[in-house]
Amino acid sequence: MTVVRGRRRSHHIALVCSLLMLASASMASDNASWSSGTAYTLPSGRWEKGLFQPLRYGQTGRLEWATHPVLNLVVPNLRIKVAHREFKGWSLATRHGFHYPTPLLRLVKRPGIGGLISPESDIPEIPHILAARSELLATRTLSQSVWLTGKGGVSVALKTGEIDERTTIDLPLVFPRMALFLHGYQLNLGADLLTNLPGRWSIWTDVDLLMIPGAEESFSWEHKGLVIWSRSERFQVLVGYKLVCGAYPDYPKARTQWHLLPLIDLQWARQRKAKS
Amino acid sequence: MPVNHSRRLHYYKTLVFAFLMAVAGWHCEPIVTTFDDIEEAEHYQAADVPTILPITPDTLLVMTWNIKYGGGDIDFWWACYDDRVLMAEDEVLDNLERVAEYINRADPDILLLQEVAVDSKQAAYVDQMQYLLDHTDLDYGVYASMWRVQNAPSDGLGRTDLGPAILSRWPLENAERISLPLRTDQDPLTTYFYLRRCILKASVPQLDNLYVVNVHTAAWQAETRVKHIDQFKGELDAIDDAGGLFVAGGDLNTLPPGSQVISDFRDTKCGEGDFEGGDYSGEEDWLDDLYADYDTALPLEEYQSADDQEPYFTYGDKPDSLGFTRKLDYLFTNRTDGWVPGSDSTHQDIATPGTTLSDHCPVSVRMELP
Repeated sequence: MTVVRGRRRSHHIALVCSLLMLASASMASDNASWSSGTAYTLPSGRWEKGLFQPLRYGQTGRLEWATHPVLNLVVPNLRIKVAHREFKGWSLATRHGFHYPTPLLRLVKRPGIGGLISPESDIPEIPHILAARSELLATRTLSQSVWLTGKGGVSVALKTGEIDERTTIDLPLVFPRMALFLHGYQLNLGADLLTNLPGRWSIWTDVDLLMIPGAEESFSWEHKGLVIWSRSERFQVLVGYKLVCGAYPDYPKARTQWHLLPLIDLQWARQRKAKS
Repeated sequence: MPVNHSRRLHYYKTLVFAFLMAVAGWHCEPIVTTFDDIEEAEHYQAADVPTILPITPDTLLVMTWNIKYGGGDIDFWWACYDDRVLMAEDEVLDNLERVAEYINRADPDILLLQEVAVDSKQAAYVDQMQYLLDHTDLDYGVYASMWRVQNAPSDGLGRTDLGPAILSRWPLENAERISLPLRTDQDPLTTYFYLRRCILKASVPQLDNLYVVNVHTAAWQAETRVKHIDQFKGELDAIDDAGGLFVAGGDLNTLPPGSQVISDFRDTKCGEGDFEGGDYSGEEDWLDDLYADYDTALPLEEYQSADDQEPYFTYGDKPDSLGFTRKLDYLFTNRTDGWVPGSDSTHQDIATPGTTLSDHCPVSVRMELP
């Protein structure tokens, strides 16, 4: 019954969010934007970095690298985005990335405060896990300052051993991503809408769906709404929220839970000077 | 900016704000649930409830039992014999099945439980309250959480919701969760995420509004424990002063006056630290007022005059192999000579090698109703 009610709520919220995205589209005006959440790659020599968003670097006009530098200490990670030819008005790109979460998971499998995974000897050591994701992004300019991006992809996790089901961290955003390690595969679908408002303001909204067909905790639906204030092409502030609806472990079957989380980020960018 | 554009922007902001507030108010739960001094407790009932209530008996069998969140004979990390933290689902269900079988054999009319997990990763998220109601002849229950956190960031505990409960053959009313003082020896962050113990009180209209009061006092800090005992006594005094009749009890985590051994228990393995709880020196008179004012299931004279007090012990860190080593669990009533003489029982048979059901054993007694 809970799951059914959760699905109904999910439909309601999804509808409201879709309306919000449409509303933001109607508020469009002309302003330059950064290239977050689109199929566009950064211009050659430009890098962007946020407190929480990854460091991204445009190597050429068609190739972009991204990584979380701090996370690299405990979760080595790398992602590339490759722009492709336009198709019927849609800009296309593919994004491919990997991360190796084993060091972080072993770090938090500890006794005492900070132990997010039980250290007990009854639960086997975390195996080596290599997770990879490939996805297709397609962006269309709806008006002079509105960009719609659709995306879909697949993730796989290669493991050197089985993971005990008790190893999960049953928190929003975290559990759906750890579910990939448990089941070995995951599909993702989503859409982003980036809208420039008058002045230095813009709005970035998105919806993402993580799915593991056949699994009990099979989905996580995530929606983000961010208001962005761009001081210049080199600095912007992002404030908003993340709404998460997902299936989490429970007895006798998975339970749908909702969480609303605050989001804040600061983002810097620089353009490397071209060699003369 | 054009006027209509500005108005649309205003509407849009209002819509976003209203949406967020609605979602926040509708769905979100705090990371840690804090409680008012007095709150309504949560009511449960069995999936199949008989249409006709059991008749009111002449005597009532009352039992109290700390069931260790269905942990059976698993050695959890806090007892220092092993490092277990999280049970697997089949472990929990197997243990609960045996607990329910034992309850059905003992056949109490009123059951006071401590450490019932209803939504805890430690207990594989099994709602033990609902399980026990569905698998015993006790069809009505009330529950009060003493630890409800979305994620306890320590030892991999994860989501936790456990606390005391009262199960009954008859519907319970006026169920209250009464907060007890928090520990005072921890840093603020640890205190925030830590247990918030409570008293659970309810009445049984079918039994002429008999009050049932259940408590589980602090295990690890004596200064807090004595406050809990005093507040428990205060609640009982209030019922008594108002002319009410009660049965009360639970896990008081301290020894009766006149205990022959008060420290250096043979089963204590933890060294100094958070789980150091095997020394009751200085607590010898903490239950004097309770014993003085109310009748206890086990008469104090019988306990104090026994050459060997071990048959009355209700707790052991490792009861399957080292036996029970101290008495921590009690039942009291304010009905003078209300207990049926000789009807008290300390159910140490819950611990045999391979089938130990908890680290506490139940205590039961039969009460004569007015």
